[in-house]
Formats: sequence, C-alpha cells, structure tokens
Amino acid sequence: MTSRRAFLSGLVAAGIAPVPGWADAGAPDFLAAGQAVDGSYTLCGLYDTGTIAFRIPLPDRGHAAAAHPIRPEAVAFARRPGTFALVIDCRTGRVPIRLNAPAERHFYGHGAFSADGRLLFTTENAYEEGQGRIGVWDAAEGYRRVGEFASGGVGPHEILRLPGTDTLVVANGGIDTHPDSGRAKLNIPVMEPSLAYLSLDGVILEQHGLRADWHMNSIRHLAARADGTVAAAMQWQGDITAAPPLLLTHRLGETPRFLARDGDDHRQMQGYAGSVAFTGDGTQVAISSPRGGLVQMFDPDTGASTAQIAAQDVCGLAVAEDGVFVTAGTGQLSQLSTPDTVTDLTRHGLAWDNHVVPIASAATRQPLLPNRT
Amino acid sequence: MRHLLLSAVLVLPVPAMADPASVLSNAVQGYIQPGFADLATSSAQMATTAEAHCAASDPELRTAFGAAWDDWIEMSHLRFGPTEVDNRAFALGFWPDSRGAIPKTLARLVADGDPAVNDPAEFAQISVAARGFTAMEFLLFDPAFAEDSPYLCDLRQAVAQDIAATTAAISDDWSGAYGAAFLSYGPDSSMRDETESLRALYGAIVTGLEFTKDARLGRPMGTFDRPRPTRAEAWRSGRTVRHIRLSLEGTAALADVLAGEETEVAAGMAAEYDRARLAIDRLQDPVLADVTEPSGWLRAEVVSQTVAGASLGVQNGIGVYYDLSAGFNALDGD
Repeated sequence: MTSRRAFLSGLVAAGIAPVPGWADAGAPDFLAAGQAVDGSYTLCGLYDTGTIAFRIPLPDRGHAAAAHPIRPEAVAFARRPGTFALVIDCRTGRVPIRLNAPAERHFYGHGAFSADGRLLFTTENAYEEGQGRIGVWDAAEGYRRVGEFASGGVGPHEILRLPGTDTLVVANGGIDTHPDSGRAKLNIPVMEPSLAYLSLDGVILEQHGLRADWHMNSIRHLAARADGTVAAAMQWQGDITAAPPLLLTHRLGETPRFLARDGDDHRQMQGYAGSVAFTGDGTQVAISSPRGGLVQMFDPDTGASTAQIAAQDVCGLAVAEDGVFVTAGTGQLSQLSTPDTVTDLTRHGLAWDNHVVPIASAATRQPLLPNRT
Repeated sequence: MRHLLLSAVLVLPVPAMADPASVLSNAVQGYIQPGFADLATSSAQMATTAEAHCAASDPELRTAFGAAWDDWIEMSHLRFGPTEVDNRAFALGFWPDSRGAIPKTLARLVADGDPAVNDPAEFAQISVAARGFTAMEFLLFDPAFAEDSPYLCDLRQAVAQDIAATTAAISDDWSGAYGAAFLSYGPDSSMRDETESLRALYGAIVTGLEFTKDARLGRPMGTFDRPRPTRAEAWRSGRTVRHIRLSLEGTAALADVLAGEETEVAAGMAAEYDRARLAIDRLQDPVLADVTEPSGWLRAEVVSQTVAGASLGVQNGIGVYYDLSAGFNALDGD
C-alpha cells in the first residue's frame, strides 16, 4: 500500500503536485535575525540587493535558520538556551507552525533538513546530562517530534547536511552549559570539541577532535561546498595571545587542515570567528570576527590566506551568487566579491544578529567547485 | 579630514584628557597588584590556620576562609591573563555547579581515601570541582562533610594549601612578567596597544556585572512562579548577598580607577552603583531564601535591575569615553 507521504513525494518528484517551490516568485534570498532600535527582536527575509522582503516579530532573540530543500519554507531558531523555533512560509513571511523543545532540552540555534526535506534535525542540549543531542522532527507531518540521537559530544552548535548526500556534519562546540546558569560556561578546563559526521539515524561515520593543547578551541559554525569540503569556524576560550587557528577545512576520510593568517593579523581576530561561508564559486572561504571587526578570506584548497577586510561589528556571512553576503551589528548589509571588493548595499535600523542564512538559494546555489563541469 | 580635526584641537585650549597610559598603570599598580597580593596573603593565612585548626566547625578556620574568599570575590571579575592560566579561576571557584560535581567529587575522594591530599603537585591535578573556595565551603559547612576524621582534616588542609598556591601564582604573574607586559604594547606583547588593555579591563567589569546579575541573582530567583533558593551561590556559608555586594564593589573600584581624573564620567557611574548599593541594603535575607515570597523575589529583582543599570552606567561612562563600546555581535557572540 502506498503511504500518503510516499504518494505526495512521488507527485513532487514528478513535478505535477500543486506544491509551491523555491522557484515561485517572491521568496527572498536570505534570512537574518536582528534587534530593532526599540529593543524588540525580529526575523527578516532579505533580497540580495539588501532590501527587506518581510519582517516577523520574534518573542526573544533569534539566532539562525534552516532552509527546506524543496518547499519555500525555513525554520528559524531561538538563540540558546531558547526553546522555540518557527516554521516560516518564505513567500509571505507567515508563521504556520511553532516548534517547542521537549522537556529538559533546549535548542542551540541551528538545524538542517534531510535531502528529501522530510526530516528536520536540530542541535539540542540534554542539559541535565550535559550531553549534546540531535532532535529529529517530521516535516511532512507538521513538524512532529519523532526522535533524537547523541550528537557525539557536548554543546553541538551548527549542523549541516553535506550537499547532495544524506550525511550530517555537526560542530560539537564542547562547552557545557545549563539554562539555570544562563550562558555561563561550566567545563572549560575539560572541554573537548569535535567535528562529527553522522547518518540520518545517528550513526557516527567519522569524528575529529583537536590536539590536546587546542582543546579549548570551540568548533561552532560550519559551511559546506558541493564537493563535500567542510569549513568550520572556531572560538578560542583561552588567552587570546595563545589563540590557535580559527578555521579548519576537512573532507571525509582526510585529515583536517588548519588555516590562519600570520602574526598580528591573526591576533586581531581576538580568538573569535563568528561565522563561516564559502564564496559562490567555491574558490574561497571567509570567516568573520565581530570582536576584531574583520573578515578574513582563505583558499580552502591550498590553505593560503587571500584577503583581509575591515568591517565594524561584522558577523553574518552567507554564500551568494557573486561572493559572500555580509551582515553587521551596525545594520550594514554588504556584498563581498573576490578577491577583496566590498560593496555596501544598504543600512537598516536593525542590529543584525550573528548569522545570515541563504534560503532561496539553498536548492540551487550550493557553492561550486572551481571549473566544475 | 582627520588632520583638520587634529589641528583644530591643537589650537584650542582643551581640558586635559585622561591619559590612558597613566590610567592603566594606576589600574595595575593601584588596584590589580594590591588586590591579588591581598588575596595571596589571606589565602596563605588560611592555609596556615588550617594546619592547626582543621575541624569543620573551627571558628578560626571559618574566619580565615571567609577573609580569603572575600578577597577572591572582589577580584574574580578579572577573568583574563593570570587567572585563566591552568584554569586557575575555575580551580578557585567552581560555580555554578549545576549537576553537583563538587559534592560528588569530594565524596569520591573521601570514599577512596585518595592520597592526593598528601601531595600538593598531585592535588593540583585533581578535578577543579574538588578544589578552591567552593569545595572548601562544602568541607566546612555541609553536613555530609562535617565529620572531623583524619582524612577530612587532611583534605581541608590540602584544599587550603592549593588555594594558597593558586592565588600566589596569580599574584606573582601580575607583579611580574604579565603585569609588565600588560603595560608595554606591541605585536609580541600580551596587549597590542593601550586600547586592548583598556578593553580587557572594561570587558571584565561588564561581564563581571552580568555574571552577578544572571548567576548570583538569576539562579536563586529562577522565575517568579518557580524561585530556586538552593541554587544561590554560597548559601551553605550564609554568604550569598555578601558575594553580590563584594563583586559589585570590586567592579566599582576598577571602573573608578579607569575614569581617572574625568570626574563627570566617574560621578555618572557612581550614581548608578549607588542605586545598586541601596537596593542591596534593602535585601532582608543574607542567602536570598526569601525569594520564595513575592516581596523577597521583588527585592531581588530590584537589585538585578540596578546591577544592569550599573553595567549600562559603565558602558555609557568609560565605554563611551574611551570609545570601547562594543557592538551587538562583538560584545555577545555565540
């Protein structure tokens, strides 16, 4: 017997279902959370020109979002230790569904969909145990909670699906927190961050920790290129003069490569990379440091540093057709084109929060490999 | 444009600006070094006292312990440089301890009769949960560890000695190489320029106040409908409100030093701090156990708001004066 779900996805695959897709006009290119001048929190859909497509009020501070691979739909997450997530219709900005974290769990602020868009995976804290979890939600059934599995570490932050596969990659930041002490870090002396690859049913396929003297380098944010190359941005919890590289690149089966600029340039990042993104053509990868007011660019294939750009309170980075789309706490939206051209787009009366997430592009605009055929 | 502005300034009789270099050396020599020296002295005094007075209920040991913990709480917002080496700050105070690691680790040491208590080097390697003032509080005030067995006596002496060694190391670093590097700037120094040193101290004040608000007040307050008084800091020793006051005063003293001769900046911050002091004076329960009553909870809420006000005062005071006010993302990343 054909299940209703299989029947529906069959229709989608055949292209005959009356189901709207990302190609429908009106969907913006990016989502970003922010704080308005009056202190209220909001989530905005943005066009790549910098224009705001829609604004949704948020009950609390937002963090990042996950784009559905087929439907023009995204899930926006509360900032940790938040417990809500909102499913957004990206054509209209309407919020048909609100997700609530189960008891003794809170969201970390990131999530990812399976390739078929059926399942949503969310990074969560099982805070009474101090262990990371990946929550599983059925997007085909109104985002019903259907299960969870171990993330392979403590403090899982960003989660991505490797393009064209159903392999998940998780940044286990390593930092233990408990909501009854807010955002206080409870285990810095013994933290062990890791980069973990998992199947959709939670089997750890591969996992990489850091060398012992870098154990306080919290692996937090991720970007992936079409060929499966992963870039991870890190946040150093030790003395900033001793900060190791804040960016690593990795492919399944290989050894991670660590990337940093020399001496004072590296130092100016203040031991903190807030976001990471590949450029649209996949030839470069960017990390941002709001503390240093800098974006640094690297060649992910050679490890060479290629550019450094100053930008006040910069944090959000997203892959864009021509380079990287950039948001800042000053309200500024910019376009960064290789090698180091910054085009200011517009400035809104909103402090853009940590991340900007590509959405309309998610299905069609994965960063490519150079000269990919 | 910049040159034009500079020359305009040069020909005008401008009032003297606070000189960052002298403000910073005052902060190090007049505030940080003496503060950590006091902490090292009172901690050594506690270790000496513990040699002859190791019973949990011993008044001399409890007094020496209280004096040393006071000194740490007053300086504990300085979480960078020497306090972060080898996780010293965590080894002095492991709090919040949301999952009860301190009593668990102490109980295991006692059950095993762990010989680490006889070797300071080995004791310095055990879990931070069983070290520092927070562990000592359990060993002096918690009924589970009140026994005066020879092992518990050894354990109290070992913790006291370990605290003395840790605080001496922090004090030595600030009086020695680190303190010197903090005041000499360059790409190879621990601070690139004066702004970076100022930012480190300013950040310590702002995050210190935030910790007092979110953890020292926020944990016991919980929510209005569900207050959690046993999540308060140092309730076993009756020191909860004392810590709120001491931590506030520690940041106030540093903020005042950083204002230098800018009396208007200093006065603006002091007014906010005074509001917080007044609100703390109005608290009625030294361990905030009365947050279970609406009136007690609201008194704590007022303190919380005034501590947030003190933080805003500092941000609008020295933050603006030295142009240190960090952005939305820079101050509070994730």
